[in-house]
Amino acid sequence: MTLFAFYLAVVVLGILSMGFQMLGSRLLSPHFGSAIDVWACLISTFLAAFSIGSMLGGWISNLAPHARRRGQWACAVAAVAALALTALWGRALVSAIEIGVASSGLAVLLSCVALFFVPVTALSTFSPQCVQFLAARGMPPGKASGLVYGVSTLGNIAGVMLTTFVLISHFRVSTLLYLWLAVAVVCLAALVWLLRPLSTAP
Amino acid sequence: MKLLSAPCLVLALAGAAFAADAAGDFTERHDTIYNSLTIEKRGPIVEMRARARGSEALESAIDTRDPMLPIVHYIKTVYGALFIHPEPKRMLMVGLGGAGFHHLFTAAFPDTLLHTIELDPKVLELTGQHMGFKPGPKTPVTIMDGRMFIKRNREQWDWLMLDAYRGGFVPPHLKTEEFYRECAARLTDRGIFISNLHATTELYYSDLKTIQAVFPQIVIFETAGRGNVIVVGVKYRDPIITDPAKWADPDSLMKPVFQGRVDLKLVRAEHSRLPLNRMRAGKILTDDFAPVEFLDALKANNADEPRAKK
Repeated sequence: MTLFAFYLAVVVLGILSMGFQMLGSRLLSPHFGSAIDVWACLISTFLAAFSIGSMLGGWISNLAPHARRRGQWACAVAAVAALALTALWGRALVSAIEIGVASSGLAVLLSCVALFFVPVTALSTFSPQCVQFLAARGMPPGKASGLVYGVSTLGNIAGVMLTTFVLISHFRVSTLLYLWLAVAVVCLAALVWLLRPLSTAP
Repeated sequence: MKLLSAPCLVLALAGAAFAADAAGDFTERHDTIYNSLTIEKRGPIVEMRARARGSEALESAIDTRDPMLPIVHYIKTVYGALFIHPEPKRMLMVGLGGAGFHHLFTAAFPDTLLHTIELDPKVLELTGQHMGFKPGPKTPVTIMDGRMFIKRNREQWDWLMLDAYRGGFVPPHLKTEEFYRECAARLTDRGIFISNLHATTELYYSDLKTIQAVFPQIVIFETAGRGNVIVVGVKYRDPIITDPAKWADPDSLMKPVFQGRVDLKLVRAEHSRLPLNRMRAGKILTDDFAPVEFLDALKANNADEPRAKK
């Protein structure tokens, strides 16, 4: 049961990350269009967040148990707070950047970083910790790593397809941003609980 | 696997392919950062087409013997706008394409400013090379996203036309109520908004419904048998523009250069009723909800809609 919940949380984490990218494109589109230059900034921001989040998560997973818990809580709170910021004031923020920054390329990049970098970085910190979770239960690290990133990538695919072909065609982007926030709260709460130190884990 | 030869590699890297024959006909393919374009010359006709979704959408065409002659049919239909606003002094056009509209318009209205916004710099370059259009003091071109220009530029326009297709597809941010409100804010008091729509998919009804949500009066002209519809909207309720009986006589609007190129009597006959039944089921597209790609993928079902011309 614990393992089922664990893998489900990893899949949902993948859905949240890449589905958010598709939502992000719709958030930027009214201000900057949806041409290849906008996508370049959007994808680069997400990749940078994945990269830094993975390194930060790897570092957190190696901390002493109490410090690790603090790190997990901090990342979960940062992800939820940043998703809430995007849902509540995302459009206003992009509008302000569009008006305030003369260079459109810079404005797109700033908007991407302001809206997407923190939540995606914070979400990404949990993947290395999920690897640690399996490794701590005796799974060889290579196998654990392959399994977590494989399952998470399946979640990424599901996130892209579900968001693009089902959600965006039926719901408002603002509604979906609140849905992302709600799902993130549940998913991260589950992960923080699952990733607690082994001595207190079931 | 064979390695590409150096010249092939250079061509591939340049993103362009070129084929020509002795008669001067040629086909060029260009992959730009926004488009995959084909320029093809067959005899006197030069076409610009955009490749997308496994086919090529005709963006623009000119006849090199008479560049003012509209080759793509909906360009003639655009002149239906003259029935609503006959003397444009300042026109903003979003989407240059191959400048198929520009040659005749600038000849018919030599004192009118025709400012064009084009996203893709390569389109401007190719239009200059092959379609005989160069920007000038009365025909400036700005390379920018159309919506961004309209938001940032505070000038007012008599005609504001949207024709920003990319391979038969319009970016969603140029289809929303908020954008149309931004357009309306840039029109003079009696200015008109013009848009080239495709009536072949379910998106058409949402397009019309969205435009109608912003412009209190709209009229449409259907290009016979081509699937194009030119919609004209105004931001005032009075005087009435939707009654063709109150329109000026086509002969009074004819310009000398229209002779043999555009027949305003035929254009007037393209005026059609709004498909109100189908529009009721359409969705108003907003920045927050614009499933443009999905509606555009659904073939229009016009079976229950009377489309008789007036």
